[in-house]
Amino acid sequence: MEYLINVAILACIYAVLALGLNLVVGFTGLLSVAQASFYGLGAYATAILLTRFGMNFFLALLIGVAIAAVFALLIGLVLSKFKDDYYALASLGFNVIVYTAFLNLQNITRGPLGIPGIARPTLFGFHFTGNLSFLILSLVAVAIAYLVAQFVARSSFGRALKAIREDEPALRVFGYRTLHFKLAVFVIGAALAALAGALFATYITFVDPSSFTINESIFLLAVIILGGLANLRGSILGAVSLIVLPEILRFVGFPTEVAAQMRQAIYGALLVILMLYRPQGLMGEYKL
Amino acid sequence: MKALETKQLIKSFGGVHAVDHLSISVEKGTITGIIGPNGSGKSTLVNTLTGMHPIDGGEVVMNGVTLRSVNAPDMPAYGVTRTFQDVRLFEQMTVLDNVLVVLTEGNVWGALFERHTALHLKKAQEALTTVGLWEKRGALAANLSYGQRKLLEVARAVAIGAELYFFDEPFAGMFPEMIKVVVRVMEDLRTKGKTIMLIEHNMELIRKLCDRIIVMDTGELLAEGAPDSVLARRDVIEAYLGE
Amino acid sequence: MSIVPQLVANSIIAGAMYTLIALGFTLTFATAKFFNLAHGAFATVGGYITYSLLVQAGLSPWIAIPVGIVAAGAVAFIVHHTVFAPLRKRHSSNMVLLVASLGAYTVLQAVIAMIWTSEFKSLPLKTAERSIEFLGGIITRTQLFALIAALLIAAALIIFLKFTRAGRAITAIGDDEEVARVVGINTNRMMALVFVIGGVVAGVSGIFTGYDTGIEPGVGMPLLLKGVIAAIIGGVGNIYGAVLGAFLLAVVENFGIWKIAAEWKDAIAFGLLILFLLFRPRGILQK
Repeated sequence: MEYLINVAILACIYAVLALGLNLVVGFTGLLSVAQASFYGLGAYATAILLTRFGMNFFLALLIGVAIAAVFALLIGLVLSKFKDDYYALASLGFNVIVYTAFLNLQNITRGPLGIPGIARPTLFGFHFTGNLSFLILSLVAVAIAYLVAQFVARSSFGRALKAIREDEPALRVFGYRTLHFKLAVFVIGAALAALAGALFATYITFVDPSSFTINESIFLLAVIILGGLANLRGSILGAVSLIVLPEILRFVGFPTEVAAQMRQAIYGALLVILMLYRPQGLMGEYKL
Repeated sequence: MKALETKQLIKSFGGVHAVDHLSISVEKGTITGIIGPNGSGKSTLVNTLTGMHPIDGGEVVMNGVTLRSVNAPDMPAYGVTRTFQDVRLFEQMTVLDNVLVVLTEGNVWGALFERHTALHLKKAQEALTTVGLWEKRGALAANLSYGQRKLLEVARAVAIGAELYFFDEPFAGMFPEMIKVVVRVMEDLRTKGKTIMLIEHNMELIRKLCDRIIVMDTGELLAEGAPDSVLARRDVIEAYLGE
Repeated sequence: MSIVPQLVANSIIAGAMYTLIALGFTLTFATAKFFNLAHGAFATVGGYITYSLLVQAGLSPWIAIPVGIVAAGAVAFIVHHTVFAPLRKRHSSNMVLLVASLGAYTVLQAVIAMIWTSEFKSLPLKTAERSIEFLGGIITRTQLFALIAALLIAAALIIFLKFTRAGRAITAIGDDEEVARVVGINTNRMMALVFVIGGVVAGVSGIFTGYDTGIEPGVGMPLLLKGVIAAIIGGVGNIYGAVLGAFLLAVVENFGIWKIAAEWKDAIAFGLLILFLLFRPRGILQK
């Protein structure tokens, strides 16, 4: 049972990440391979504020989100100069830069040693030490993320995002300052990633740079493409699918490390297969 | 009253003047045709006037304001709208969304907290009904026939309710019934006092619709005036034959 | 005692390593016009196959190295045949190809990790490594070989592209694929050849990396990214540009970390890339 709860919590965290990324990639057409950076920023901010300042988790969460938002604004501003595959390449570059910072700013992040001993959240005296209670917290987070994403998607803003994806220069003639929209959605995506990061940090109670590599960003792309770009329920479906999958492998008897590599092989192959045969993913709304 | 003026307008690409010291003026409430052989700079002129390319020299007077640079997002504020020669629709969005998106709030914050209203829907319905696409409002733009796509281009441009309209070869490849629809749209606009600039190769339509035409050749203004007289000019005919 | 000569030596060696990976990448980008982010995995394959034959099978380097190189070329061919060729046939966008290449990279990395584990592996030398004096600094014999190899391969590629029929066909495809097809060039076969050549050169890169600093399954991506930076700043799609960019990047990195701590090398490299993409996206040697 504990095991299932553990898998469910991870699925929730990745669902939040996927929802944020889908807004950027699926709705706006910005192929960002940098989501892991903001995931990491949220996680490290939470880790540092909790371990070094004993701050309340929910306050640290807000600060982490704010920090990620600021970085997203700056990074998004630079990225806005690029299109399509160059955008992807530049975003990949930023992921590397942020990861390198996590690794090297040892005074702040303790580098490869990571930050252990992060406390579980506390709310009005209630400690989320039990995994079941943490699962409920995670589900609430997913609900919030979903509501935010849906609010964005259904608004006029959401419609504009899709038009930017389709033909940005044409849309501008109709009165849209598209740069502002691209920055705004990138910040929202990063904020959701930071939320996931904060959850991750307090759940595992330990963070180190290895969770925020390029591979993680690529994995998230696989999740949202599998689920279906520009489809919010698809993102949740994709996250659940790709988290549950390696767990099944573990049941079949593969040792943990091999199972992790098999998961990698599978989502890598999935990306290729999706591009070849079903770019609209499971929920089939938009094709890359 | 002038809806639009250009004074020695220049747009160059890599040293070549695609629009070469062009000076024209357009009266309000008229339909002005822009004709000329391929590569004469007609689309470039429209692209420059609608802010898709930066101006390299000269001035534009829009709405009484003299401009040395034109920004695409300012177009609605100046009362300008356009269609694209190569039909730039929002492909993986519905017909209705293609029109709604030009009607709803263009400001980031406003757009975030806005759901489209009944008024937006009403305007969209009007525009789409005029071109006969209301029944297809749920279809994806990518799935429309060529003629329907051209009609949607027109509907999208018209929905905004602008003062100055640029149509870039809107009739190319259209069936006669569709041509009639768009002709009626343009004539309606003129009756309401709107101004239209129309790039077109179909001389019959030019003669029928335009109050005045301007002729471009290699970026320069070759001739301007009433359609019949301009089209009879030898240099105009030669410009076309020589292409 | 000035460390400048050593920095110069380091820069030249790094430049050579970057040249090898940049060459293959730039050739495929110039011809196929998309970013193949799986290219680094071809290098990794070359390194691991050679490792496997050298260490696990105990074969001589004279066998292990050529087989490793061929294996890299073969994997490149397979990936092109099964993934890129079908996608390009239906005119998929660059983003689709890039995403597919990320998928291919991930699969290759994972398979390598499954077979050989994630531990760092070094390719051992038959005779002891020797230090050589070079322009006032010290380099290893392996590194000297890498430098010679890089320059020879670059020269060979330039000659190939300019003076052989296949090479000129490939250049023609890079200029305009449609026209090349119309004039009768078998673009499918030529494109496969491009990927094989790219894979082969990547394999060389991976093997030298294995001898020099060692390899692990994920070594391909950071290596490739350096090659991409080199290719872009030197001049996209241009062999001379790849070489120039590679050495320029190496110089900026090595002299950069003289003043900033060594751990920031990658960040410096990417900062350089972003700067170029913003202000001179076609690179220094524009085609």
